[in-house]
Amino acid sequence: MTLVLTNRFKLKDSHTLAVYEENGGYKTIDKVFATNPDDIIEEVKQSGLRGRGGAGFPAGLKWSFIPKDPGKPKYVCVNADESEPGTFKDRYLLELDPHQLIEGIIICCYAIQSHDAYIYIRGEFDLPYRRIQAAVDEAYAKGYLGKNIFGKGYDLNIVVHRGAGAYICGEETALLESLEGKRGNPRVKPPFPATHGAFGCPTVINNVETISALPWIITNGAQNYRQWGTEKSPGTKMFSVSGHVNKPGVYEVPLGYPIKDMIQNECGGVGGTGRLKAVIPGGSSVPVLTAEEALDANLDYESLMEKGTFLGSGGIIVIDDSVDMLWALRNLGHFYSHESCGQCTPCREGTGWVSKILDRIYHEGGTQADLDLLNEIADNMSGKTICALADALAMPVRSYLKKFPEDFARHIKKTA
Amino acid sequence: MSFAFTPENQKKFEALLTKYPTKMAALLPTLWLAQNQNGHLSLEVQEHVASLLDLSPVHVHGVVTFYTMYKQKPSGKFHLQFCKTLSCGLCGSEDLIRHMKEKYKLEHGKVSEDGKFSMELVECLASCGTAPAMAVNEKYVEQLTVEKIDELMKKLSVA
Amino acid sequence: MTKVKITIDGHDLEVEQGTNLIEAARQLGKTIPHYCYHPGLPPDGNCRMCLVQVEKMPKPVIGCRTGATEGMVVHTQSDEVKKMRQSIMEFLLINHPLDCPTCDQAGECRLQDYYMDYDRIPSRYQEQKVHKDKMVDLGAGVMLDEERCIVCTRCVRVCQEVAKSEELFVQERGNHSMVATFPGKKMTNPYAGNTVDVCPVGALTSKDFRYKKRVWFLSAADSVCQGCSRGCNISVHHADNRVYRLKPRHNPEVNDYWMCDYGRIDYKFVNDGRRLKPHFKTDAGLQEDSYQNAFAHLQSVLQNYSADQITGIASAQESNEEINAFVDFIKSNFGSLPIYFSKNNPENPYEDDILIKADKNPNSAHIASKNLKPVSEISGGVKAVFVQRNLSAQDAQVLKDKGIQIVALFATNETNLDNLAEVILPIPTFAEQNGHFTNFEGKVQGFTKALKPRGESRLFAEHAEDIKALLSSIKKAS
Ligand SMILES: Cc1cc2nc3c(=O)[nH]c(=O)nc-3n(C[C@H](O)[C@H](O)[C@H](O)COP(=O)(O)O)c2cc1C
Ligand code: SF4
Ligand code: SF4
Ligand code: SF4
Ligand code: FES
Repeated sequence: MTLVLTNRFKLKDSHTLAVYEENGGYKTIDKVFATNPDDIIEEVKQSGLRGRGGAGFPAGLKWSFIPKDPGKPKYVCVNADESEPGTFKDRYLLELDPHQLIEGIIICCYAIQSHDAYIYIRGEFDLPYRRIQAAVDEAYAKGYLGKNIFGKGYDLNIVVHRGAGAYICGEETALLESLEGKRGNPRVKPPFPATHGAFGCPTVINNVETISALPWIITNGAQNYRQWGTEKSPGTKMFSVSGHVNKPGVYEVPLGYPIKDMIQNECGGVGGTGRLKAVIPGGSSVPVLTAEEALDANLDYESLMEKGTFLGSGGIIVIDDSVDMLWALRNLGHFYSHESCGQCTPCREGTGWVSKILDRIYHEGGTQADLDLLNEIADNMSGKTICALADALAMPVRSYLKKFPEDFARHIKKTA
Repeated sequence: MSFAFTPENQKKFEALLTKYPTKMAALLPTLWLAQNQNGHLSLEVQEHVASLLDLSPVHVHGVVTFYTMYKQKPSGKFHLQFCKTLSCGLCGSEDLIRHMKEKYKLEHGKVSEDGKFSMELVECLASCGTAPAMAVNEKYVEQLTVEKIDELMKKLSVA
Repeated sequence: MTKVKITIDGHDLEVEQGTNLIEAARQLGKTIPHYCYHPGLPPDGNCRMCLVQVEKMPKPVIGCRTGATEGMVVHTQSDEVKKMRQSIMEFLLINHPLDCPTCDQAGECRLQDYYMDYDRIPSRYQEQKVHKDKMVDLGAGVMLDEERCIVCTRCVRVCQEVAKSEELFVQERGNHSMVATFPGKKMTNPYAGNTVDVCPVGALTSKDFRYKKRVWFLSAADSVCQGCSRGCNISVHHADNRVYRLKPRHNPEVNDYWMCDYGRIDYKFVNDGRRLKPHFKTDAGLQEDSYQNAFAHLQSVLQNYSADQITGIASAQESNEEINAFVDFIKSNFGSLPIYFSKNNPENPYEDDILIKADKNPNSAHIASKNLKPVSEISGGVKAVFVQRNLSAQDAQVLKDKGIQIVALFATNETNLDNLAEVILPIPTFAEQNGHFTNFEGKVQGFTKALKPRGESRLFAEHAEDIKALLSSIKKAS
């Protein structure tokens, strides 16, 4: 199937400029520079493209918040921190089609009239880093970046900035702090990056996948993009599928695609015991679905909301019935407490507390009071912090306890 | 012996400064450069980097201790970073980690006596689709099995 | 500036647009509890204690960083807000050592205060606490107990903002976060003591004050630092007629919320090394004795001089009132010679453009207004002087060189003039009297009496009465 983002993945040397250009790459440039920047924003708005990093915020709308003449530079930051457990799609976009991302960045920068973009890439990504850096170098050499790009009288610089091991730097304002050479502490909002972003200047932050969709949208038009997906979730999305499936991997499908089909058709069916127990549909921080719920759910923003969860980053973790959901939750507890930046009280203390309670129950057994306490800590953590990391643990805690009570009951000590 | 960049790295450092509107923003890449040259970021290196960028040493230290990939102590020649997060866990990483301990006496935070190996349990490497995964120094090794690990360890021990 | 109307807990008020809700509530006399917010520092927003509800906002907001806008309706006492506070308290306490019985902060600790107000439930925490270092010497007389720290970053911000020095920073992350200096380095900035003041809990303590006194035994008197000509506003904390510590007192025009570390320890002379009784010179050296005998000695000394050979040297370290009394006394009883002044005049005095002034006298401005002459210009006609408080080393040398006799020294403490003065009469320090200093900007600032005059010390005016009587009896006799 030819879709939007992954069309060139199977080509040999797909990461090189030559292959990219042979296969439709950098063809939007003339069109872009012949178009009024505001019209580009409008086109992206029309396409209904939503942020693929997790929150699903409409990309065109975000760009329209950037002040026109702020009297200071504007920046574009590409979020390539990809660290949400279960998510590994951006990695392939960076490894296999870095020029598509660069072309997307050019479009985004032109639309908001920015001349400087940063790609913030997680420190662990070595091959993706080398690929995107090489692609940027190639583009500079060819005059596609730097001064007067493509001879269009427009200057644009792209800097690839490596992180150094911190999940929280995927949160957009932590990313900005980290870019500025600081600890990755998320900022208190407002002010928002659209007005006070990188180096105190107006800034757009978008996920790699969001930006990578732009060349296709501009080439083929917003209406064409809407041939896929639903009214509220137009287009296609890359889903990272892992856990107990026979063929884990990244699959691009139209939004609204049934989870059942994703597991059966794309992924070759449930792996492990072959019996589905649970599905985490949008990266580890979203509420979990039972097998029954999952098999009835579609992969788009609104249907997953209806099911009480989120599309998130599109990291689908499939869990078979051999898994103890307390064990799974404990694993996530460790993750989030390790990755909390530690700034704000409910998250710094709450994630650690949850994780220790889960450890204790897992090793020594617990009481009903422990389970009640877990729920209460989750309540006390959520909606009260600087960023959403606290919620990212609170949501699993509440949903695992609610949907898999028997897995927790098994660890309750029988008292006389 | 005091730390200084090699001429080649000094050039790279100077190029870094041109990429950002502030000096401070060059901190993360400068620390990478220093770590790659020195193997780890000793206090002395941290102070040197601070002076290069007109930052306070305590700021640099705060940054170094925030990010897990900056090392304040030397790692082994081969630094094995095993992912321990959910998808790898579902695909058997716990057994592999146990195997590392039983067979190779390697566990989180440990450097082997000969300095050849060190091991660290890390959070999600974004290799969930090719789990279980680890990174050996910077290179990802994926779809790990006990056999694959034994083979790799054999190869690395003579490398 | 635009004013906006807002409502807090049903009370309407008008505030400047953008005023944060903690300050807005303060105008109503209400406290929104908080830890990380400090009115003298840029807001951070990490502790989350100040969460309140604002109508039409989807989530609770932090009072410290939410600016008032027209028509805002704020709830700070709803059940939900109280529940949030309780949960924040619970989070703050799970890793807290709860060693109040040995904590210096006990009695002025916000954890204790708010615990009583909002939490008061037995701990539900059964896990291992995160153990950290309980005794870290941060330098500059500041000790850190990492286990007590709630990572509010006030201390970090006070170093950055007030001392303009980045010596403290948060290190590590998550629940291992802690404030620290660079390993092996210590704080050296002369404002480090303010970190202890702003620490809302007992994590930072002053080595100088540690374990000396439980704070609830201390009383406070409003005062003014006499360490330099800035005249930082301070509180003198005292008990048992001794001073235990000095703390800065807010004055936006002089020192804001801060004071320097030199000033902070400039109270020891009140407690120690004092002249508590009259003394006079004998063949066997300086002798402590009664007022009666001291005055008898003074009388015998004064008989050697005529009134036109005698003058006085006033001190820039004394209050406006004491300087006036001294100058008036000299003028009215001797008067034909100029009157002189002396200043504390250390070599290479430290100064900066933050608070600390090079002039280490609290009252140079008042001295300047009195038209007195420096001791270096003392003229040949002077044979004997009354000296207020003390003389600089240079000024003492001038007197020695010119063979001028100190007939009486009005002293708070033992000084290097002790052997030069015929009589030493004890006077109280700034902590034992009411008075005013005039700072370098001409600001006249009052200070109040914290202690009873120690020993037999008396204000200058009382000494002056007795000396006047003495002089008239000399006149009568001659
Ligand atoms: C704790 C946390 C972690 C996040 N991690 C990522 C990430 O790794 N990659 C990403 O693109 N967005 C991440 N986000 C979302 C970003 O904050 C931001 O919404 C996104 O980059 C915006 O781009 P988009 O609109 O194109 O999705 C994270 C958010 C939170 C709260
Ligand atoms: S919620 Fe957690 S990660 Fe986010 S700012 Fe607060 S402490 Fe840091
Ligand atoms: S030491 Fe005190 S002031 Fe500093 S961060 Fe900790 S609690 Fe706050
Ligand atoms: S600056 Fe001067 S007045 Fe202020 S505390 Fe220091 S010594 Fe005292
Ligand atoms: S006082 Fe507002 S968050 Fe701390």
